[in-house]
Amino acid sequence: MSISRSFAWGEIKEHKFIYAIIIVVIGLTMTSFILENAYLNYMMQVVNDTTKILTADAAITSPECNIRDLYGTQPTIENAREIANRIEKALPEYKTAIRVTAQATYGAGASGEAVDGCTIQGINPEEDEKVTNIKNKIVEGRFFEKDDPILRGHTPLYIEVKGPGNLPDFTYGSGQRLLKYDKPYPIIVGATAAKIHPSIIKVGNVLNIIISTSGRGTKYATVTVKIIGLYESGTPTLDAMIWFMHADSLREIKGYGEIKGNEWHIPGVGTFRGFCPIEVDRNIGDTILVKGPEPLHQLDPIGQAEQLKNALESIVPGMKIFSWHDLLVYAAGSMQDVVTIMLWGSMAVTLLLCGAAIKYVMDSIVIRKTREIGSLKAFGARDRTIFKIFLYQGLFIGSLAGILGILISVLVMNIINWYGVSVQFIAGTQLDIGFVVNWLTIVIALVLPVLLSILAASMPAKRASMLPPVEALRKGEMAL
Amino acid sequence: MKNKRMPLIELRNVSKIYTQYGTEIVALNNVSLKVLPGEFVSIVGPSGSGKSTLLHCMGLLDRPTKGKVFVEGRDTSKITGKEIATLRGKKIGFVFQNYNLIPRLTVLDNVILPGLIIGKDEAKLTSKALELLEEVGIKHRADHKGVHLSGGEQQRVAIARALINDPIVIIADEPTGALDSESSSEIMELLAKLNKDRKVTIVFVSHDLDIARYGRRNILLKDGKIIKDSKESRLEEILKEASKTSKEVWR
Ligand SMILES: Nc1ncnc2c1ncn2[C@@H]1O[C@H](COP(=O)(O)OP(=O)(O)OP(=O)(O)O)[C@@H](O)[C@H]1O
Ligand SMILES: [Mg+2]
Repeated sequence: MSISRSFAWGEIKEHKFIYAIIIVVIGLTMTSFILENAYLNYMMQVVNDTTKILTADAAITSPECNIRDLYGTQPTIENAREIANRIEKALPEYKTAIRVTAQATYGAGASGEAVDGCTIQGINPEEDEKVTNIKNKIVEGRFFEKDDPILRGHTPLYIEVKGPGNLPDFTYGSGQRLLKYDKPYPIIVGATAAKIHPSIIKVGNVLNIIISTSGRGTKYATVTVKIIGLYESGTPTLDAMIWFMHADSLREIKGYGEIKGNEWHIPGVGTFRGFCPIEVDRNIGDTILVKGPEPLHQLDPIGQAEQLKNALESIVPGMKIFSWHDLLVYAAGSMQDVVTIMLWGSMAVTLLLCGAAIKYVMDSIVIRKTREIGSLKAFGARDRTIFKIFLYQGLFIGSLAGILGILISVLVMNIINWYGVSVQFIAGTQLDIGFVVNWLTIVIALVLPVLLSILAASMPAKRASMLPPVEALRKGEMAL
Repeated sequence: MKNKRMPLIELRNVSKIYTQYGTEIVALNNVSLKVLPGEFVSIVGPSGSGKSTLLHCMGLLDRPTKGKVFVEGRDTSKITGKEIATLRGKKIGFVFQNYNLIPRLTVLDNVILPGLIIGKDEAKLTSKALELLEEVGIKHRADHKGVHLSGGEQQRVAIARALINDPIVIIADEPTGALDSESSSEIMELLAKLNKDRKVTIVFVSHDLDIARYGRRNILLKDGKIIKDSKESRLEEILKEASKTSKEVWR
């Protein structure tokens, strides 16, 4: 071992306590940096995937809709079909699909307890599939088929009948079944939900879910669904958050249609319970998705998104248009910019303090060891050798802190993954905390503390190496 | 191998001037001096007379303001700081008043340290260090930490350390300055023995005239100038000269 290294090691051992504190502080700073970054990356991935699936290249909603509503229930567009047709005519290379969405909570706890929430997207299997390709993501069970029981005569309507005369009042509540032979609605569920509640969520199971059916002035319906397939989008969080139902079923639940059949009578006359299905108006929807021939996010996302948005604005004036880029900016940008600045800011402050601590400790070593340094110089040690004694200490502190930081973050991530910590997310959904570690973060977590501590160490190192050997010895004499 | 006549160290018209708070302090004033092989030189003089400064210039720890220092005939004023460090490590052995052992190192590691610094082989150094420790009578403590030794013992280790690179001269500033009189004379006996048996050239400073007596050549320094420079025979004269100065002037 070289003189510099062995003396550096000697100093490290001599000051192990204070160095250990510095190393741990830097290490923990790097840990929080890695964890926050990894979480942020994960969130970015969630957002990215969400926007891909949710919106295609652009989403058109009614004017009063705001961007957050895209993750839940939205106001109705009465002439959705007409708008979609207008767009397809003006932009022949683009495909459109009309979507209906609802918020749902499903019982997954003890007897009927509603514990989990999700967004249910109503898709039109024939046209919507081209937009999103959900079919390809089915991992168990199947996609919707032609003869699936879709319109089952559930009523979502809340009817109050004032009993005439001495007849009693009665209400006909939401979600109550009109048909004895009714079959549940087919639904496709995210694989994550199936993993979380394996006994409840599995293909073939019938489930009661409560659906809130309107963006404004929420109405509830309790409906029975049968799980026909599990899908996996590649983003576990997303799979827990978004389920798919036939758009017509959801339209029916939301009451997008008229009550059919002449046996039904309006209150004032009397009660009637009979066969009374809703004729769903397929022209109504919540969102119109627009998708180009190429996946936009693989091209020049920002430029193309803006172009499409401008084009759509002139085709459907007055409607709210969210481009893929808008969603990304909303969901990711607002979150990431702020968090990233805070992240780097707090890390910089801590690291600067640690750098100051390293400099301070080493300065005091130089002062106390002036005689020792002078002796080494008298014995022929070069300035560089003395410089390196302190530089190596910095290198040691920095690299150990970096490695420690990485190890702790790996540990924490594993623990969190193991126990499955989750947080309340947009629209009341539970979101598992996950991590996506990228190599750049790891490299930064290793290089930054090393650079910092080498920089901090280089000042006392320079000072020590510049000590004239005579002064070194003289001062030592005085110190005694 | 070297010419017997050639001085190991030669100071030619050396001056050292410090500037402090705008005033000049002349620590050495045009000093010329030759140290020949095998000499045992004591330097005495009142405090502040420039004894340490003189040793620093001789030991290549400091460069003179004026004049030149020759080591084995080589002019050191022209060589770089890097080369000076190497030359110092190879040619000069130092013994300090406060021993300056590295506390966390063992006695043995302290002794081999100057050898490691100039890049010698550790195994060879170790066997040589053990011989030297034997010679200074401290081999049994080779594995002890330096700080656990008495002052006299530490100074023995320091002497062994000064010898590890076979220097041409050992330079010692007040080698007994921190020792009691018994240990002091033991250390001086040891240096005298090394000078006699091994022909080690030694230059030392002492404010203690009894210690200075061990030197076989005696130099009296005053106000940065050599007042007297003698061989053995003239020591008494120097001491007489020195004692003229009042007692307080001597440290
Ligand atoms: N770095 C310095 N800066 C300014 N003046 C100095 C410096 N080093 C030494 N001197 C001065 O130079 C003169 C000679 O100092 P030196 O240490 O050589 O004396 P000395 O003979 O060794 O004294 P002592 O017996 O007290 O050790 C003194 O006046 C001292 O104050
Ligand atoms: Mg002195």
